[in-house]
Amino acid sequence: MIVSDETLMAYADGEADAATRAIIEAAMREDPEVRRRIAEHRAMRETMQGAFSAVLDEPVPQRLIDAARGRTAAPAGNVVDLADARRAAASRSPVGIRSRRPAAMAASLLVGVALGYLGLHGASPLVKTSPSGELLAGAGLAAALTNQLSEDRSPGLVAITGLSFRAKTGDYCRTFSLAGTHSSSGLACREGDGWKIKVLAQSPPAPASSSNFRPAASDDPPAVRAAVEESIDGEPLDRAGEITARQAGWAGKSNR
Amino acid sequence: MSTNESTETVQEQIVALLPRLRRFARNLVRTPHDADDMVQIAVERALLRLDQWHSDARLDSWLFKILRNAWIDEVRARGRRAKLFMPEEAGEHVGEASMEREIDRLSVEAAMTRLPHDQRLAVSLVLVEGLAYKDAADVLDVPIGTLTSRLARGREALAAMLRPEGDLS
Repeated sequence: MIVSDETLMAYADGEADAATRAIIEAAMREDPEVRRRIAEHRAMRETMQGAFSAVLDEPVPQRLIDAARGRTAAPAGNVVDLADARRAAASRSPVGIRSRRPAAMAASLLVGVALGYLGLHGASPLVKTSPSGELLAGAGLAAALTNQLSEDRSPGLVAITGLSFRAKTGDYCRTFSLAGTHSSSGLACREGDGWKIKVLAQSPPAPASSSNFRPAASDDPPAVRAAVEESIDGEPLDRAGEITARQAGWAGKSNR
Repeated sequence: MSTNESTETVQEQIVALLPRLRRFARNLVRTPHDADDMVQIAVERALLRLDQWHSDARLDSWLFKILRNAWIDEVRARGRRAKLFMPEEAGEHVGEASMEREIDRLSVEAAMTRLPHDQRLAVSLVLVEGLAYKDAADVLDVPIGTLTSRLARGREALAAMLRPEGDLS
């Protein structure tokens, strides 16, 4: 009996159907050459499995674990500063893949982080990405940033705004917190007609008894507070300042 | 993937698959560091596309496919000239051959680097990762007959290189 090598290989790999198996097993009984070839295929399989198994016992780099969990290699684990992530992406691998296209990589990294944090995939009223991959406030969040004053704590809001201020760039920026048990806080700055998200960080889980929202901007995660301190020009806006800025459409120097 | 909970569950499953993703990536690219970069790119892409994964499909095959496609994108982006990717005739990068007991393993790895990449991928997915033919064919976007033929030729070439009387030097 002549059996093709591909058929014997499929049998050795457990891929043959029942009829083929019956034929091959009959052939094996009568033909030592068939037995030898099948044994070779199986030995090859074992060899290949063993040859590359060492990597399975190596510790997995933390950056890969973080990536799988939708986090970047930020120091606090839960906190993501977009600029830090960008720098990390650019510097992590001077001769590797990342440095050859840092902008694209950083963009996909940040979006991944943000979507991972928000537990959102696909269309979202809270976060969207620009054609160039930047993270922008979606319609729901943008409406909150554009219209709400920081004192507004009405129930049912998708987001509350915390601190409003003029950045050194001349643009207006606002901190915000999103509703929900996996709530995130962040900093967004007005650019053109939209709000560009500069920092997004996961808030500590709220106690079950409290409301959906954390009570005050002073509870913003450290990454958000640090970003505010780094970029703020002067003092935060008071209520009158927010109203004036809102009337002007939050138009800063760069988009007047 | 409609809730945070199921997203987190899948994320943990991906974490558990990282060792195998790293192993597969090392059969794609030249250095372990670059292989890990490929894994990171693939994992980030996978998280963005979780809504495209159906829980009745194998998560490992799906991730292998994303990783393989990410690698193809890199190859294209770099005009096929880069030394990042395994040259078909170079086994010297696989490590130190000083320990006797490692010689066998190094020979196998060196032999793998000499395979054309079509065959190397087929061998890697079926023999190393243990995927069924149909899953491996799906990862590679080829009909199962093509996968079978690449696998057979790859195996034959490996057997010739690893045979004791074969000349590897």
